[in-house]
This record gives sequence, C-alpha cells and structure tokens, in this order.
Amino acid sequence: MAQSLSFVFNVLDTPEDQGQEPSPYDESEMHDSFHQLIQEQSQWAAEEGLELQQMGSGTSGSDHQALLGPEGALAHSTATLRILASMPSRTIGRSRGAIISQYYSRTVELRRRASRPQLGDLGRLARPSLRLYDLELDSTALEEEEKRLLLVKELQGLTVAQRDHMLRAMPLSLAEKRCLREETRIARGRQGHRGLPSCCSRLRYACVLALHDLGLGLLSALHVLTPWRYALKRIGGQFGSSVLSYFLFLKTLLAFNVVLLLPLLAFTVGVQAAFPPEPLGSVPAFTGLELLTGGGRFTDTVMYYGYYSNATLNQLCAAPPDGGPCIPEAGGLPYNMPLAYLFTMGAAFFITCITLVYSMSHSFGESYRVGSTSGAHAITIFCSWDHKVTQKWASCLQHDNIRTRLKELLAEWRLRRGPRSVCGRLKQVAVLGLVWLLCLGITLGCTVAVYTFSEFMIESPVPAEPEGALLALPLVVCLLNLVAPYLYRCLAALERHDSPELEVYVAICRNLILKTVILGILCYHWLGRRVGALKDQCWENFVGQELYRLMMMDFIFTLLDTVFGELVWRLVSEKRRRGRPEFDIARNVLELIYGQTLTWPSSPPLPRLGVLFSPLLPAMQIIKLVLLFYVKKMSLMANCQAPRRPWLASRMSTVFISLLCFPSFLGAAVFLCYAIWQVKPSSLCGPFRTLGTMYEAGKVWVRRLEKGGPGVSWLPWIHQYLVEKTFPIYLVSALLLAVIYLNIQVVKGQRKVICLLKEQISNEGEDKIFLINKLHSVYERKEKSRAGRMQEAAPPPALLTEDQDT
Amino acid sequence: MGQCLRYQMHWEDLEEYQALTFLTRNEILCIHDTFLKLCPPGKYYKEATLTMDQVSSLPALRVNPFRDRICRVFSHNDVFSFEDVLGMASVFSEQACPSLKIEYAFRIYDFNENGFIDEEDLQRIILRLLNSDDVSEDLLTDLTSHVLNESDLDNDNMLSFSEFEHAMAKAPDFMNSFRIHLWGC
Repeated sequence: MAQSLSFVFNVLDTPEDQGQEPSPYDESEMHDSFHQLIQEQSQWAAEEGLELQQMGSGTSGSDHQALLGPEGALAHSTATLRILASMPSRTIGRSRGAIISQYYSRTVELRRRASRPQLGDLGRLARPSLRLYDLELDSTALEEEEKRLLLVKELQGLTVAQRDHMLRAMPLSLAEKRCLREETRIARGRQGHRGLPSCCSRLRYACVLALHDLGLGLLSALHVLTPWRYALKRIGGQFGSSVLSYFLFLKTLLAFNVVLLLPLLAFTVGVQAAFPPEPLGSVPAFTGLELLTGGGRFTDTVMYYGYYSNATLNQLCAAPPDGGPCIPEAGGLPYNMPLAYLFTMGAAFFITCITLVYSMSHSFGESYRVGSTSGAHAITIFCSWDHKVTQKWASCLQHDNIRTRLKELLAEWRLRRGPRSVCGRLKQVAVLGLVWLLCLGITLGCTVAVYTFSEFMIESPVPAEPEGALLALPLVVCLLNLVAPYLYRCLAALERHDSPELEVYVAICRNLILKTVILGILCYHWLGRRVGALKDQCWENFVGQELYRLMMMDFIFTLLDTVFGELVWRLVSEKRRRGRPEFDIARNVLELIYGQTLTWPSSPPLPRLGVLFSPLLPAMQIIKLVLLFYVKKMSLMANCQAPRRPWLASRMSTVFISLLCFPSFLGAAVFLCYAIWQVKPSSLCGPFRTLGTMYEAGKVWVRRLEKGGPGVSWLPWIHQYLVEKTFPIYLVSALLLAVIYLNIQVVKGQRKVICLLKEQISNEGEDKIFLINKLHSVYERKEKSRAGRMQEAAPPPALLTEDQDT
Repeated sequence: MGQCLRYQMHWEDLEEYQALTFLTRNEILCIHDTFLKLCPPGKYYKEATLTMDQVSSLPALRVNPFRDRICRVFSHNDVFSFEDVLGMASVFSEQACPSLKIEYAFRIYDFNENGFIDEEDLQRIILRLLNSDDVSEDLLTDLTSHVLNESDLDNDNMLSFSEFEHAMAKAPDFMNSFRIHLWGC
C-alpha cells in the first residue's frame, strides 16, 4: 500500500523520546495552533450559517470501513465536521475567498508558462494539490481584500482574451466579475460607440431577433421530423429498455437500408429506367396477384436483374461495316451498364460493411472501455434530468423514464444467484438439457419438412400459369417460422433462469439456429437445383422472384401474427388470470434479422443474393420496416405488459448488431464473392449475359484500361497487385489483429491503475479521520491535565500563610 | 414577436455582458426583453428586481423539479437582479465550460448547503426526480447506498466536490442535459 504521507504521530506512545519526535513543549504549541484553527473555523462557520449534523453510527453502510479512533466512536463531532468542511479540497464550491485564491493560482500558473497555453485546457483542474494554495497555507492569513488585489494584479498581466476567458469561467456572480474587470481594465482608447444604439442598428437588431425566433421555430420543427422520437420515449418509459432495444434496432435497420438504397437508385435503377430496353414479346395484363408473386407484369421491370441491359447505354454507334466493335460517335455520355451494376453493388456492399463494423466496434467500445458508464447510478441520478424540457407532458414522460431506469438499475444490482444445492443444480442442468434436445428436434423436423417439400416442388413440373402455386413453398416456410418460435417459448417456460438477460440470449440462439438452417436449405434449393432445372431460362429472374415472394409472405405472416396472435394470447392469458403476455424480444429481433438477410447478400451457407438479383428489394424492405414499426407499437400498447423482472438492456443493441454483422453479413460477403467469381450467369438476360462469370466484366474493363494509356495505368496496377494476390489481405488482417490486441492490453493496464489509485484515495480518507481523532484525544487529555493542574495550584497559598504564621 | 424592444441598454454594457458571460448578443437582448416584461414598468433595468416566484414561473423553469434550488443558488438576498438572471443564463447556456456547470450543479444539488452532497441530499434528489411522495424506503436507501458505493472514494459517506466532479467527468451527456434556454421569447 503506497502512501504519500508517511509521518508518524507519536504523541501518546512515546512522550519520552526526544530528538526527532516532537517534545511535549513543541507539541503543545502545535496543538494550540490547531486549537486556534478550530476556533476560527467554528466562528467562520457560524457566520456562514452552516448546519452540520452529527453522523450517527448507523449511517455508514456495511461496506464502509471507517477507521475507528482510539476511543472507538464512529461519530464525527461537530468540530471534526467543521474542520473537514474547511479543508482546501472542500471549500472550492463555496467560499469566495477560496475561489479567488484558486483563480489567483491558476492565473499565476498561466503567466509562468513559457509558451502560449491553450485556453481549452484551463478549465479542468480537478482536485487542486496543496502546493497551489500558497495563499491559504500562509501563516499571515490574508484578508479577502488583499487576495482580490493580488488576483487583479495577476489578471492585468494577461491578454484581453485570456482575461475575459478566465473571468467567464469563474463561479462568481456577475456583479463581482464586473468589479474585477473594472479594476483590471487598463485605460485605453474606448472602442465602439457611446450611448444608445442608433436607428439602423436598432433595425438590424430587430431583424436579427426575428431571424432568431425563426431559427428556434425551425429547430422545434426539426425535432418533430426526427422519426418516432416521442413514440420511442413512451415505449422506453412504459416497458423498459429491453423492449426499447428492439425498436431502436428496427430504426437502425431502416437507416442501413436507406444507405444501401441510395447509390443503387442513383446509379443503376434510375439510369436503366431512363433508357428502357425494347420489350421482349407482349406485356401481360396487371392482376392483383403480382403484388404477392412478383411475377407476371413485374417480370420485365426494373425490379429484376433480367431487365438490365448488358450494353453500354446512350452510346450512339455508327453502324460498323464489318460487324466489329461499336465506334462511339460524338455526343452523349456512354454508360456501361454491366460495370455500373457490378460496381454499384460493390460500393453499396462496401459502405454497408464499413458502417456495420464501425457501429459494432463503437458499441463494444462503449460497453468495455475504462470507466464505462453502463449501469452507473450516480450518473443516472445527477444527469438524467434534461433541463431543456419545458412542457408538462414531456416532464411527465421524463419522470416515467427515470423511474423505470432506476428500477432496472436496482434490479440489476440485486440480481444475486442464491446458493443452490448440488441437487438443485443437477436438476436445473437436466431440465436445460432436455429443453435443448426438444428444441433441436423441432428444428430438425422443420428442416426435413422444408427439404422434402422443396424436392417435391422440383419434381413436379414447373407450372408457369397458375401463379398461385408458386406461393406454396414460401407459405410452408413462413408457417414453420411462425409456429416453431411459439413452441420454443412454451418450452422455455419450463426452465427457470436467474437472469432475464440470459433467457433472451438463449431464445435468440434457438431462433437463430432454426432460421439459419431453413435458409440454408432454401438456398441450396435455389442455387443448386433450380439453376439446373431452368437451364435455358433466366434463372436470376426466378431467384429474384422467389426472394420477393418469400419476403412478402414473411411480411404478411408477421402482420397477421402481430395483430391476431398477440391478441389471442392476451385473451387466453387474461382468462387464466396470468395477466397480459410479455413482448417476445428474441423472436421479433430474429424476424427482423431474417428479413434483412433476405435483402442483403447473405452468409454461408445461405446464399441470399437478393440485392444482386433484385435491386429494388431494399426499397421494399424500407416500406416493410416502417409499417412494421407502427403495427408492433400498436400491438405492444394494446396487448402486452412490461416485463415482470425489469432488467437493464445495455448490451442488447451490441448483441443485435453483432448478430447482424457476423452470421448475417460476413457470410454474405464470402458467398457473394463465390457468386461473382464462380457461378455462370444465364445467357439470356441481365447485364452479364455473354460473360463466363460476373467478375469478367471487371476484368474486361481493366484490360481495356490498360490499353487506354499511361494516365490510368495505376488502376490496373492496383488490380493486379492488390486484388488478384492474397498477400495484402493477410497483411491487413494481421495488422488489425495487432492493433486490437494492443488496445485491449492498454485498457487492462488502465483499469489496474485506476484500482490502485482508488485504494490510495480511500486510505488517505482513513488517515485523515484517524489524525483528527488523535488530535481530539490529545486535546482532551491536555484539557484534563490542565484542569487538574489548576486544581492543585489552588490549595498551596493556604499552606504558605500557615507557614508564615509559624 | 410584436413587442417593441426597449433599448435601455447601453452599448458598453452590452459589450461588457458579452465579454463576461457565455451568452451571445442576441441572447442577452432577448433576456433583457423578457426581464423588462416581468418587472414593474418604468423602472431602469439595472435597478429592477424579480422575486424568486416570478423567476420560478418562467416557461423555462416551470416544470423543472429543481427550480427552487436553482433560484436559491443564483439569487442574492432572495431577489434576482438583471445581472443575476444573466449569470444564471450564462451557466446554463450551451457554450459554458464544463467546470462552471459542474460547480453550479454541485451547489444546486446540495440541498442542506453544508458543502457536501450527503445521504439526505441524495434522498431529496431522488424524490424530486421521481416526483412522487410514496417511494418505498428500501428503494431510497438502496439507491443512496449504491451511489455512495460508486462515487464516494474516501469513504466518508458524503460526496465532496471533487468526487462529484470526478463522477460527472465520466458522464457524456451531463453537458447536454444541464442546459436551459431561458430566452424563449
């Protein structure tokens, strides 16, 4: 235990030791000066009207290890409290003299610095060390006036900007600051006008104030535009942060989809819509079924991959005499569609990847950094009230939010695993194992069902006319996706976890396994079997349509489930007097991730080349998410209740985004690369009609660039050395891993240092109390001995007179 | 808007206020306007005072659960002069430096004004935040003990200013939440 103060106070133990230890004579002098200090402070404290209470011994909690003095009393006497209150570190917040001397010291330090200091650094002096308080520890206790004069003198030495900044940051009243400023102002030529402002400046101020009002109005309008702010606050206040995390995740997904959609719209869909290719054959009439199946009328539109031309748009060709390549004429900007398609997909994919990784690392960093504020009570109590709120309903909402948050914090702290017997633990493990087995069995059953049904669909002849029959497979898949999670939920009621957070994680795992496996089967079905079955047709179109159908069915089933399923569940629960059901977070979050994975290029072994084959799927997803928000919110308010065991969902959003990133997106990256590099596009439609793989479009272009000239030679060089070879990728990953490892070690080291420093501070607190108690005991002993001596001195005069007589 | 601005303020005063507070010129003028609307007509703005009730019923402070403490901390002799109001607006403005805000936050939260935030202060803060009188004793004592466990570094069962400052330094949204727009004219 390192202690910076290490003097030994040996008053009681060794009074006979002369030399280095203080002699009794010195000790009484030292003691008297403290006595004087105590008297002064008590006088001063009485003037200021302090009310110090005596702390009873019951107030210190069981965790506090306050040191007992030699008397054994834990209570601080009034004098002790007064001394504590007047210590330099305590008086910062209150007395003017202390503020003035503190700022005097800061000003002196400012002037002593050789270089011009940053004004921004000035404000953060936390606990000033005793060294800076030369004025306070001065034996000639300076009056406040003299301190002021010193401060004024120092301020005069600063530049105007520094002086003003120093004055602004002082916690004194404005009148006092004005006085200080007056005194420090060196007489210089008055700048600016005198007297009242003139007419035109009045007009100018009127305009400026009007603009200011307009600005305030716009700002409040902007708050209204922020989507769903009030709704989210209501949900958070009423149902807690766990349910709120689901809705926040929905909002995040919406943002991702918008980011994905914009480049696609700009570079591929928009351009293609502006230059439509010639229609192949007749256009079928529009029937309502197209909205569900995505076929029929929609087949030859911008929705699907097949529509996009494989030529360069807007390139006016002069008819070549020998059927050679097109010689571009002047005028018009050539727009190479295949390249645009590939690069836009690549760019959108890249942006999404970077955004995902950044938000994931940000969430991780928030939870695990040194001194993180998750679950901190003090922060909640002191900082949670937003003072900007001016409306009554908004303040009621805040009260609700704070109440829920405080309950959650307490519940998290109270969560303690009661000691269980070995028997109880074994029983719990057995129940867990059984439930897991049953869940995996259900998953297997669903998988087999989907597989057999898809094989059956392949074997039976592919009907193009009765479009309704195409909906059979999506229907089966969605039905299974709906029923299985309810079964999981019923089974999960058997196992009793201690922590509600763990329950949610386990449910997420189970749902994830189910959805992953089903999607895997589907993808094998599409890419493995369908491509073979549709040899001479546009298989990409078909896959796109299947994806669209799946998404629509999924959406419809979700709506039906939300509207009817939760209603039915609520009626059943109320009949059984169990209260309303709770919102099932795991199932809903997994549904969202599943829907999103249908939109993105997907993860192994789930090839979801949705975006690749249907560029407008993100738009559908956006509409779907918006509708889903309102439907879920309505159902939540009407049918569900707040979780019975409130818990703080501080890490939930990190978990959700990690789920989105790792199983969903990272696998997509691998599989998309496989699709681009290996799979042969169909020869009848799409921008990559004539190529062996989609990647060849890029290669062709690079070769053309090489011939283009020295100006763009760096691009083929990059392509050759960075993209084709694998070494740079390994190098980059190794560097990344090294940086992450270093950061982790630094954080660990910082945490250790913080622990040590905290220990040191608490030791010094104990030292302080010990010293004060010692001083008191010495003072009391002195008082007693002095009283005793005075009593002894009284009788001797009587004896002397008697002696004189005789 | 519709009201006429009474330009009783001299230019040098405006400049001085701008130099000594964190407010911009427009904000100072707006506050000047609001102040004149509330104080009795005909009085020079430098001599007029507002009572604590008048300031408490400003729209910005009306629903604040700590409005009585705020008025108490920033007023002198239970009245507000114009400069007191400016000082208050300056501390709560957006540009104010963190040390100033933390300083005044400490004073506001110290209900019994003994220089520390002790258990009694903490309990009163929690009651104000929850805005209800029937809060269970367990909740209060649990919360206060947790706060002290976290932030009381030298184990004296109270939060001194430096401990408070240390706790607030970790809070990312303290600066955001400790803001009031007093000039909603």
